[in-house]
Amino acid sequence: MLEAIKQAVLDGERKTAAELTGAALKQGVSPKEILDQALTPAMDIVGEEYERGDRYVPEMLISAEAMKGAMVPLKPLLADAGVEPKGRVVIGTVDGDLHDIGKDLVAMMLEGAGFEVINLGVEVTAEAFVEAVRERRPGILAMSALLTTTMVNMPVVIDALTRAGLRDQVKVIIGGAPVTQTYADEIGADGYASDAASAVKLAGRLAQK
Amino acid sequence: MAIESRRIERLCVLSADDVCTIDGKARSLLRTTGIDAGAEPFLEIFSGIGAKVGQRGRVTFPERVIDDALDSVPNRVLLYGRGGALPLDLGGDKVYLGTGGAAVRILDLEDGRARDPTLDDLADLAWLVENLDNIDFFLRPVVARDIASEALDLCKFYTSLANTSKHVMGSVGSVNTARDVIELASLIAGGRDSLVERPIISFITSWLVSPLTLDRQVSNVLVTIAEQGIPVALSTAPVAGSTAPATLAGLLVQVHAEELSGIVLSQAIKKGAPVLYGPVPAVADFRTMGYAGGAIESALLNVACVQLADWIDVPIYADAGLTDSKLSDVQAGYEKGMNILLLAMAGGDYVHHSAGMLESMLTVSYEQYVIDNDIIGMAIRALQGIEISDQTLATSVIEGVGPGGHYLTHPHTLAHIRTDEYFVPATVDRQGRAAWEKKGAVDGRERARQIAREILHRERKGFILEDVDREIRNRFDLTGCLRGPGNE
Repeated sequence: MLEAIKQAVLDGERKTAAELTGAALKQGVSPKEILDQALTPAMDIVGEEYERGDRYVPEMLISAEAMKGAMVPLKPLLADAGVEPKGRVVIGTVDGDLHDIGKDLVAMMLEGAGFEVINLGVEVTAEAFVEAVRERRPGILAMSALLTTTMVNMPVVIDALTRAGLRDQVKVIIGGAPVTQTYADEIGADGYASDAASAVKLAGRLAQK
Repeated sequence: MAIESRRIERLCVLSADDVCTIDGKARSLLRTTGIDAGAEPFLEIFSGIGAKVGQRGRVTFPERVIDDALDSVPNRVLLYGRGGALPLDLGGDKVYLGTGGAAVRILDLEDGRARDPTLDDLADLAWLVENLDNIDFFLRPVVARDIASEALDLCKFYTSLANTSKHVMGSVGSVNTARDVIELASLIAGGRDSLVERPIISFITSWLVSPLTLDRQVSNVLVTIAEQGIPVALSTAPVAGSTAPATLAGLLVQVHAEELSGIVLSQAIKKGAPVLYGPVPAVADFRTMGYAGGAIESALLNVACVQLADWIDVPIYADAGLTDSKLSDVQAGYEKGMNILLLAMAGGDYVHHSAGMLESMLTVSYEQYVIDNDIIGMAIRALQGIEISDQTLATSVIEGVGPGGHYLTHPHTLAHIRTDEYFVPATVDRQGRAAWEKKGAVDGRERARQIAREILHRERKGFILEDVDREIRNRFDLTGCLRGPGNE
């Protein structure tokens, strides 16, 4: 049964993964067993294949979707059992910028890696980011911008967090075509990632701190 | 370098039936799905010409609305420089290739390191392009990072116009800067009417974010530009597999629909507004979803777009010359060589991104402009084909020399070796090994750097007259722009 769930995730079969997970739970398999022996190993393989260049991004995303499907019945049970998600991430494209494909890619991959993701969408104002940090208490705030004219809104958000007294409660990570590590350092962000896969790694590192 | 006479057939990757099918599917997509036009003033603009405004900003387009726009949109657009060259004549058989991009990095000419571009770099690049004969126009290639973003639009147009006489194209961030830039260009052109009659600048607006969603801020800029009658490229940049279908044909249907909707918008703003059909179609590398500008599929898409533009008879702002390499290496050479040649063969009217670009659109380098100047020259030479006439067939010359003779000093040889018959690239090495070693055994990149340095050290002439410059500086605060004439 666990092997079949793992295979369903590898194949990106969301419905099958969810159904098999439900059936396994009924048979008395523990949620932690399903997570540790089927879902996590499947996503590990997906990650390795991706690193080797053998798995394409859409194929990885569809596996992440299947993983999410399997998590639906598991989540409440895991929470009851005291198993926490890896971390919570609030993510959005900054004010004035409509480009969401890169940001959504990061969001999907973070979810696939076991993060809880709150996606605020595009043209997110500093106020909206601050509000989300205050309400949802994420460990990580992730911002994206495609344009040189909109990336300047990133430090605006960081300033707003500081003014709201929230800056030390959240790690801020940034990305997008014109953004660089140097820029992240300049504006006092906690991290920068050049692509979705490194964003997931970065989030993993920051979540452990 | 425009070709004077084309002797080879235009390259097609789609049959006439394919083109017709894609155009039909795109129109049907606009009829049924339409675009998300957001809010006013666009809903009113669209409904004013008979497009249907649905719920939540959705606008669909009856066939007649599209046909009306295609009737009024100009089929020919002339873009002017301020040197002796003829204007760029877009919409016919001519092919022009020039720079492009809004790169956020530049490779330093001396140490090769990637750094932030400055306004000085923009001035140097404009001067470099001024001196590279095969590059036909100067589309502002870098985002100067040493200038506040509010001042950037005006400064970049000023700096470009001050350092090259070639046609200058760029984008603007807001309605106000659009007005300022038009006023600045009017002062240089000798009045607003002269500017409209002989546009020495033109604009790019990325008015639509794929798939099928109007960018309201940029579209407002488009409204301002179209109202003034300055030529504008309607740029939309779908990527296969993320913001467009993963199949090349599917992407073409979507991008053609997007472009048609843009033409409709421009003509709704002002009948007869000059626009360029401006698809920037691309594919991604599915291993990373990273942009793959140098991919051969990108070239196929762009050639297909030339055919689609031709079908609706609107001049095209096409795209060739991207590479995904980070430096001027072998990959840059073969990616650029292939896609520039293919687009030139297809007959793209105004082909941007054709010089200087690296890392898709993110980086430029000085030496790459010099190298691409050669690639463009070779592509254009290929288009000219082989001239056949009594003079070139040279049968009487062959008879005169006879068996066993030679042609080295024949008048016919001397009459032809310095003509268009031969293109001589500046960066290639054709010496023998010993001579090459004696000259330092350097590669093409280093030779290109040497040429770039030589051009940058040439005595510069300003391209904005002193009294005009004074007038401009009285009108606008150009504190950051020191590279006008007399300000070296």
